[in-house]
Amino acid sequence: MNIGDCNAVSSFTIHYSQLTIQEMTIIPPYLKRGDTIGIVCPAGYMPFEKAETCIETLTGWGFKVIPGKTLGHQYNYFSGTDKERLEDLQHMMNDKNIDAILCGRGGYGTGRIIDQLDFSGFVKRPKWIVGFSDITLLHCHLFSNYHIASLHAPMAAAFNDGEYKNQYIESLHAALLGKKADYTSDAHPFNHQGNGYGILVGGNLSLLVNAIGTSSDIKTKNKILFIEEIGEYIYGIDRMMYQLKRSGKLNHLKGLIFGTFSEMKDTTIPFGKTVEEVIKELVEEYDYPICFGFPVGHDKENYALKIGVKYSLTVQNDLVKMKEK
Amino acid sequence: MNRKDFLSAVVPLATFTSAFTSQTSSSKTHRLKKIPPYLKKGDSIGICCPSGYISLEECQPAIKKMEEWGFNIRIGTTVGLRDFTFAGTDEERAQDLQQMMDDRSINAIMLGRGGYGAVRIIDKIDFTEFEKRPKWMIGFSDATVFHCHINHNYGIATLHSKMCNSFPDDFSKADQTQIDSIDSIRQCLAGEKMIYKRLPLAQNRSGEGIGPLVGGNLSIIEQVTGSISNLHTEGKILFIEDVGEYLYKIDGMLWNLKRSKKLDRLKGLIVGEFRIKPDDPGEEFGKTIYEMVMEKVQKYHYPVCFDFPVGHVKENYALKCGVKHKLTVSKNESILKEL
Repeated sequence: MNIGDCNAVSSFTIHYSQLTIQEMTIIPPYLKRGDTIGIVCPAGYMPFEKAETCIETLTGWGFKVIPGKTLGHQYNYFSGTDKERLEDLQHMMNDKNIDAILCGRGGYGTGRIIDQLDFSGFVKRPKWIVGFSDITLLHCHLFSNYHIASLHAPMAAAFNDGEYKNQYIESLHAALLGKKADYTSDAHPFNHQGNGYGILVGGNLSLLVNAIGTSSDIKTKNKILFIEEIGEYIYGIDRMMYQLKRSGKLNHLKGLIFGTFSEMKDTTIPFGKTVEEVIKELVEEYDYPICFGFPVGHDKENYALKIGVKYSLTVQNDLVKMKEK
Repeated sequence: MNRKDFLSAVVPLATFTSAFTSQTSSSKTHRLKKIPPYLKKGDSIGICCPSGYISLEECQPAIKKMEEWGFNIRIGTTVGLRDFTFAGTDEERAQDLQQMMDDRSINAIMLGRGGYGAVRIIDKIDFTEFEKRPKWMIGFSDATVFHCHINHNYGIATLHSKMCNSFPDDFSKADQTQIDSIDSIRQCLAGEKMIYKRLPLAQNRSGEGIGPLVGGNLSIIEQVTGSISNLHTEGKILFIEDVGEYLYKIDGMLWNLKRSKKLDRLKGLIVGEFRIKPDDPGEEFGKTIYEMVMEKVQKYHYPVCFDFPVGHVKENYALKCGVKHKLTVSKNESILKEL
């Protein structure tokens, strides 16, 4: 396919002379039965067995699956050397027979290869890249530099332990087929009520701050931002949120979504606040809609979200609605 | 290494009280540097805690030692004050620091300890008076926020060194490197020009570079990126250290340095002590600090000096941030010399 087949999403009255590139996102083609999904591990090592349920499930959905060389491959902590991980991802991105790329797991390592990736072929033939956690960097990079949408969603490892039938894995299936998301989430006492409409960006907090100052950094003005984290100290969350705040990333949002903050740790001298309390204080001054406890993050509750695509966020006193436009 | 090889004689400046020693440079990025007045006997050092909690007792060895040096010690309201992990609420910490900065009878400010909390208050601080009458801000770790913020925004030099919590209870039993490190604070405050020498190391990269010294804790450098406190490294000698992080986290932070172009145009790189959190079993990272650093700076040609005694260790010498230094790394030795 060529770029002309991509759906340019814009809710603006388009005057092409004035159209800024931020208002346009390139949506990779959605999948249909018979299409092929490649599985790749650009970061941490993952045993092949842990992808087996995923492969069965994807096959059951009617897709062909091609495991990359890095799936089940190990080099110390990583799923291969930098060169091997780079080559596998590059090959998956360029291979015309592969219609979407699902990452096996996150961990750490995408940042080591991202600047060596050649996006020239991918820009001409974009495809959905699916993942979260360390893959946040790839999402940010794709959107910041190429305005290509990508999918923040469960990865291969999440299909295990009978979880492949849950609504979160199902939301990935629906997203790949191009069905528009319409999620709801429970009310939370710290929520700020209101409506917001804008392009969705976000992901793992550590990776979002790690990208600041680099070519992968995301601009958040007029966007809906979502954030999740795992395994951090409470003070670390406070520090990273202060970085977002001090670098101006929270100033002009259309909405702010906090997902799950799993396995939080505290220091010997307690921080004295829960993660939710820490965040609540930090965002008190903003009047855009804010919600807590949205099902996105490292727990089972992890809805597929399209980075770069427009959503409306409605935070009511009894319910939160997140609807793809 | 032999301590004698390291800390060599230092030459005192002729004029201790020469306030606002200025040096201009043709390059736009080399801002006018203001060196706060050096201290003389009878001057006052204020102790203040803008970050983590520390008790007054824990500050006593530092108070005693600095009194021996001939300084009056003024105890800030945040010393011994506590709000969970912090030395008081944000308001209390900001107020104490503000008071210390504005009080003309205080000639330097030493922080009680690091921990966490500087970024929570820095934007509440009014630097107007401090800019007119700079004084030495002394500390490291979380205090890197102040070094970055003050060096860049106000062109004022600061002192990266041990703080109150790292003075030994009993100097007679303390490690000599710790005693020397603490004495280097006194030397710096007295206006002596510092020279630090280090034995050669195979992993070093030889070369010579001259520029203002900047740096501090790597986590903090990453975490002020994008903000008004952002560290600017072009034309500078950068030093980094960290503690308690996994190797993969350090790697990620080094990538942030590289990808935010902070390693591009250095005059030199000094890698201090990295007290690493051991890899979890089965998650061995498989790279050393030397490899992690060198792979990111391999295409540049400036000198790189590893294992420099700066960091969360006993041997942590005082470094004047914002002040011009010369770094010489050769097969025989490494020398960091204040110019």
